[in-house]
Amino acid sequence: MRESLNNQKLLREKVFEKIKSGQIAMRPKFYFALKTLLISGIIFLVVLLMAFLVSFISFHLRASGIWYLTAFGWQGLGVYLRLLPWFLIILSIVLILLLEILARRFSFVWRRPLFYSLLAIILIAVVGGFVIEKSSLHPQLFWQAREGKLLLMGPMYREFGMPRFRDVHRGVVEEVTENGFKIRTFDEQLLTVVLVREPRFPLEKEIKQGDSVVVMGARQNDTVRAFGIRKVDDEFRAFESRPARRPIR
Amino acid sequence: MREKLPQKKDEEIAYLVQSGEIESFGILVERYEEKIRRYARKFLADHEDINDVLQDIFLKAYKNIKSFDRKRKFSTWLYRITHNELINALKKKKKFLPLFDFDVFLPSLLWDRTLEQNIDRGEMTQIIDKCLDKLEPKYREPIVLYYFENLSYQEIAEILEIPVSTVGIRTKRAKERMKKICQKLKYKL
Repeated sequence: MRESLNNQKLLREKVFEKIKSGQIAMRPKFYFALKTLLISGIIFLVVLLMAFLVSFISFHLRASGIWYLTAFGWQGLGVYLRLLPWFLIILSIVLILLLEILARRFSFVWRRPLFYSLLAIILIAVVGGFVIEKSSLHPQLFWQAREGKLLLMGPMYREFGMPRFRDVHRGVVEEVTENGFKIRTFDEQLLTVVLVREPRFPLEKEIKQGDSVVVMGARQNDTVRAFGIRKVDDEFRAFESRPARRPIR
Repeated sequence: MREKLPQKKDEEIAYLVQSGEIESFGILVERYEEKIRRYARKFLADHEDINDVLQDIFLKAYKNIKSFDRKRKFSTWLYRITHNELINALKKKKKFLPLFDFDVFLPSLLWDRTLEQNIDRGEMTQIIDKCLDKLEPKYREPIVLYYFENLSYQEIAEILEIPVSTVGIRTKRAKERMKKICQKLKYKL
């Protein structure tokens, strides 16, 4: 009992000693308000970055033609998995986890199971990404990058049509030939597409000049031996032309 | 003024401290020192370590008192600081603390609310006290807060900043683990 009283006195004295000597000062109320504001600001920026990244991944997949590879059976699926932008996907997952950690500082988040907050964050990322993708942001940045005006994000956008996509080629049909057709890619290359086996789309009826297509097949010089061809919906063709030349829907 | 303070609620005293009556903070130290010391003892063995942690807890409470919302309970707020300081102390001692806890992922599927009502606190407290130090800190914490500090699941959830259902799950798992530990030590649970 006596020991307890001594301890209490000692602790109280020690605490007040530090307070009165100025070693410990009470933080003002605005410090906490500023902290909350700062965390909210960081959360907002991370949400924006996350939505931008998700929309960029989707844009990248569609623009490069990777998105359509799953329609080409198991072989297409294999190439699809190989060409997925894994670095960007992992970065998005890291941002989702970072957002979860930041959001759990707020009681309305930690009061609920992590599953729900994680689901909400993923939903925000998907919806935000969808909204950004529907805007003309990516096509504009894409063309700015191609014209060398975009320094920081330029390499991200310029990557389309690079040699690493030697199995998948996207472009606009310039000419229909006897055993295939010729396409013009984003980097202004003219490729001759030769059909090696029955493609998924009947050539004469479906493919015509001006169509946007994704061709899957190995490239040798300027010739692509295609085993799969897929026409691309008009909805995703906006980036094929400079926004100034063709209005973006 | 000082004579009337002991009758005041913790939250009212905290408000006085917030308003600049620094001396009133001493009352809060006196009121909570033993409770916090008892709680810290369940996690730290060394007497000096406990004293250091205790001092840090009250200094931190003073430093951050303006972040305390009077609509909430002062005890819960102080226990939250204690929880954070104990985690820091355990980390310094290199005790294993998991980074991710699956109990917070979707706990409501696993939690049976009737269990809470069927637990006899008084009887359990004596048995638990004998086997507690063998239990991991993650499970020890809700058990100590529930049986020794007599806090509700809601209050424990506020302190640990986890869903109430996770407190239920951890208490249930802690009880199962305690059962095994106590059986090894020949106590009946």
